[in-house]
Amino acid sequence: MTKYFTRAIFIASLVLGVGLSARLSFTQGTYDIKEMTPAVKAALDGRKDRFDQLRELKSKGIVGENNRGYVEVLGNNAQAESLVNAENADRKFIYKTIEQQNNLTNALGTIEKVFAQVQRDKAMSADKIQDENGHWVSK
Amino acid sequence: MFNQKRGQYFLIAGILFVIYGCTVKAVGDPNRPITINAHITIDVKGLKDTATGIEDYVSGEKK
Repeated sequence: MTKYFTRAIFIASLVLGVGLSARLSFTQGTYDIKEMTPAVKAALDGRKDRFDQLRELKSKGIVGENNRGYVEVLGNNAQAESLVNAENADRKFIYKTIEQQNNLTNALGTIEKVFAQVQRDKAMSADKIQDENGHWVSK
Repeated sequence: MFNQKRGQYFLIAGILFVIYGCTVKAVGDPNRPITINAHITIDVKGLKDTATGIEDYVSGEKK
């Protein structure tokens, strides 16, 4: 009886150990918004709603994508400023959410840079983008 | 006799593994908290995939 009980405990321990290791590797390899809170959804929807307006301002060269993962007004434009501020607030919230929900301590800078790279990749021809050295160029 | 004794060792080992394998035990003076600077390696490729997915959603390329 003890023999079977011992075996059961031993196998259960192994399964638990292997399962725990597998869970850790999965967490380290994939990042995501793991919990869609109302605040995260609002930030994503806010960005979605202003996408077309930003697209237009980008095509006119009024707004550009900087190398820190945020949009920037290039010149003086009060209307664009307010849109850009709202966009950047939502972006920062999303970046921080990814950092927190994936236990990426002190990784905000890296997350911002990666998003900046994606924005550069996705920018349309003639959009203003800031390269990694800080120079504003037209794509 | 031997098998029974060996079984007991396994039992104890199994229980210890379960208890200590899942518990982080803190020792030391609670009035002098220690700081551990953990170095977390970020999978940039994975992060880029996540960023692309989010930006695709925002732009409407992905529903």
